[in-house]
Amino acid sequence: MLDAFEILTTSGIVLWRRSYAPVPSSVVNSLVGDVFIEDRRPKDAQGQQQTSYKKDKYTLKWTSAKDLGVVFVAVYQSLLHLSWVDNLLTAVKALFTKDYGIELKKAHVTKLNTQPFDATFDALVRKLDTGSTRRQSEADSEGPIELTPPSSAASASEEAVDEPPPPPIPAPQFKKPAVSRKEQFEGTSTDATPVPTPDTSRPSTPASHILTAKSGPGKASRRSRKAQHTLTSAPASSGDESSAGRNKKTATKAKRRWDADGFAVEGEDEVLDYSAAADSQQEQGEREVDVEDVNASQMGSRTGKGQFVLKDLDDEVDAILASSKQQVKPDSTEGDAGLLGSATSRLTGLFRNVVGGKTLTKQDLIQPLQQMQNHLLEKNVAREAAARLCASVEADLLNQRTANFTSIDSTIRESMSKALTRILTPTSSLDLLRDVTTTISPPNPRPYVISIVGVNGVGKSTNLSKIAYFLLQNQFRVLVVAGDTFRSGAVEQLRVHVRNLSELSRREDVGKIELFEKGYGKDAATVARDAVTYATNTAGTEGNGMLFDVVLIDTAGRRHNDTRLMSSLTKFGQLANPDKIFMVGEALVGTDSVAQARNFAKEFVDTKGKLRNNGVGMDGFIISKCDTVGDMVGTLVSMVHATGIPVVFLGVGQHYGDLRGLNVGWAVDKLMK
Amino acid sequence: MVASDAPHDDWLTWAFSPTISAILVTLVISLLLPVLIHAYLYRQATGSSSGKDLPTFLLLGPSGAGKTTLLTLFANGTPSPTHTSQTPSTALCHLPASTRSHADRYRSANDDTLSHASQPKLLITDTPGHGKLRHHALASLTTSSPNTPALKGLLFVVDSAAVSSPAGLTETAEYLHDILLLLQKRHTQSKTSKDPQAIPVLVAANKQDVFTSLPAALVGLKLEEEIAKVRLTRSKGLLDSGVGMEGDEGADDQERNWLGRFGAKEFAFAQMGEHGVEVTVIGGNAKGEGGEEKEEESGRVEEWWAWIGENL
Repeated sequence: MLDAFEILTTSGIVLWRRSYAPVPSSVVNSLVGDVFIEDRRPKDAQGQQQTSYKKDKYTLKWTSAKDLGVVFVAVYQSLLHLSWVDNLLTAVKALFTKDYGIELKKAHVTKLNTQPFDATFDALVRKLDTGSTRRQSEADSEGPIELTPPSSAASASEEAVDEPPPPPIPAPQFKKPAVSRKEQFEGTSTDATPVPTPDTSRPSTPASHILTAKSGPGKASRRSRKAQHTLTSAPASSGDESSAGRNKKTATKAKRRWDADGFAVEGEDEVLDYSAAADSQQEQGEREVDVEDVNASQMGSRTGKGQFVLKDLDDEVDAILASSKQQVKPDSTEGDAGLLGSATSRLTGLFRNVVGGKTLTKQDLIQPLQQMQNHLLEKNVAREAAARLCASVEADLLNQRTANFTSIDSTIRESMSKALTRILTPTSSLDLLRDVTTTISPPNPRPYVISIVGVNGVGKSTNLSKIAYFLLQNQFRVLVVAGDTFRSGAVEQLRVHVRNLSELSRREDVGKIELFEKGYGKDAATVARDAVTYATNTAGTEGNGMLFDVVLIDTAGRRHNDTRLMSSLTKFGQLANPDKIFMVGEALVGTDSVAQARNFAKEFVDTKGKLRNNGVGMDGFIISKCDTVGDMVGTLVSMVHATGIPVVFLGVGQHYGDLRGLNVGWAVDKLMK
Repeated sequence: MVASDAPHDDWLTWAFSPTISAILVTLVISLLLPVLIHAYLYRQATGSSSGKDLPTFLLLGPSGAGKTTLLTLFANGTPSPTHTSQTPSTALCHLPASTRSHADRYRSANDDTLSHASQPKLLITDTPGHGKLRHHALASLTTSSPNTPALKGLLFVVDSAAVSSPAGLTETAEYLHDILLLLQKRHTQSKTSKDPQAIPVLVAANKQDVFTSLPAALVGLKLEEEIAKVRLTRSKGLLDSGVGMEGDEGADDQERNWLGRFGAKEFAFAQMGEHGVEVTVIGGNAKGEGGEEKEEESGRVEEWWAWIGENL
């Protein structure tokens, strides 16, 4: 059963909401924060982005009307598997944009009178909600059907059940991966939707009385069904879910094709469509009786008038759903329009490109986006990150109008700068000095522990000594720990650094620094823990009763795909329990940066098996050797894109003082140059 | 050829012939054309941007402080339920009848000519408070202030309950520090001898209805203390990339990045006065006392309205 349904604007105002059970507001807030703002979307097994988001015990599904800036969110309990929610979202989106689209486009809209939408929504839910109880009985009987050769048959039958009055719907499109679905919808939003039913048929206020009056028993019956469901469903539904997952897999597999450029084409699957349609019709034929049965019992409680109103809405919804399914077909035939027509449209397109005010279509965007992607690749951004940035820009610009006297290229550049700024800006900025000061100050003082990890030869020790120098300048007492007990010369290297730094600090009379080492061959995690204990030691009671304020732990460099070495990081993280873990990455490295960042981040789990720092793993990146790459600072983007961990420091030279914070504007300028 | 040209020629001949009608038509055209062009240009210059010329107030503050709720309350009279904002939004508001604008301050309270319709209109712009989206707010502050004199003030919304926790206080203070520094730089770095128009800041201590909230005066004090700390670590912190890498400037902008009176240990909002930024702290609550059940009930915002009215 649905828990809540909300319609909100991108500016955060809830235009309309319906809640069946109290849902904490934080659930939707975290959807907005994680998915829309931080773009941290869960991925399924195939690496496709999902359209559902799980938070606490809820699952959220959403769709958005970009041109209006409206987001539709459905919330339900993760325990249930409600496949009809997708249909509900599509239908609500179409109906809502049709009714309120014009009002929403006006300036300064902060409130809409959405009272009449209550009735429409109730009717929609009543129509589309096939419940989850019936599904499981169907799921049981589905066993043999799944064995039939066409891969989409199983999902077809499922969907046929979900939709009592059957328009012959090509089934596999329901189970499409997220991205292609969205693309279809983009086209249908607002005015483009061909809705045959005239406006008058929509239930307006008088009719709504009837509906709301009737909603009492309807709700009750649903609730009872839910109760029944919860009694019996737990094991069955989980089985159902897994089978659905299987269907999804086969369906997507069968449909992907690759075009000349190496991109997956997901729109042109008519051959499959036809076979599936035939199949689903057969199946529907078999199932018709069953479906009518249940519907009749539902409708028995309704008055003639209520039924009539519903009937009209039914037609409309069917049309919407069917048209959203058929969106794919015109797309493929669009290419062979008349020669003359294409020539004139091209001319006006060129003109509009100069003057602006052009509505951007997919075709317009492909070429410049490809150029933009190449540009990013030249700046040393990993292909994966570049592709995702371009995809987000495309989603941002599709069906938008360019501003006056703005070409497509400059529009794309602007949008890309925005996307880069968003990806590089940290959610909360790191103020290292403040953190240190609060940690070592009275209530319960303890040394602040920083550890540095990274691949071999990226400059861990060098950056560690730069940080040490920075901390010394701020009058902190620093203990450097030689955690690299593996590579010969590592301890000696640190000793030289410490000697230099202590000489420097003696001259300037700031801070103090010492090396903590246990020689080679010891376990790094134990050394680190001992060092922290040593720093906390209250024997030398000066100041706040600790020997040192900051503990900097160097670690052995390790290849990120060496599982044996990497797994020891987990133990290290748990034993030393650093306040901050920074990973050093080279600006020179290219595509590999993504894998490096991911592999290192996933090693830092706490004892409960959860990634530290709110499920991100590490606290920041230090990008070294920035002075050697000039403009090609793409590594920044690649690493942040892969993990969502912000870049905190940049190494920009050979001296102890050559450490910088990240200025997002500077980085974006360099990348877009 | 000839056949097709014939009507054309007729028309031309008539236009150049010394008939009364031709002269009248020419006269009408020559008189109307400048008027029409003027009307068109005037409309272009003022009509489309008439919205921009309205006095504008900017809503700032960390995420979850209640900016969007406040916006809906100002615009509609009742707060709407809201979620995290992703884009900025603007609303057209009327000053409520109970509040006097600065221009009307000497009018009697019983003056009948001041009806609701004659109350001044203003625009309020809401900005997203999420850490990644603050560039919207900063951009609208930096780009709009020199060329549009319409920006009349900033409302920095603070969650009075969240400031009692160290993390919430730090986040709020850092954001406020950045905003105030931006305003100060705008003042100190202006090229002309004439000062740019002063932008007052209202620190709106929101959510005074929440049980754990701090009173407005205390919120102001806490923020001042915290800003002093932020200012100190910022001045000691690392330089940003880009600065000094290209080899220009460097140490001399230390004073420029110091908020308030340079070298002062304590920070007080009063220090911003010399940079033309007047900071006021006023408490209130956008939502009603009823809490979750009575979401539609509007809270206590009259004092904020009064501040807006004063600065119109």
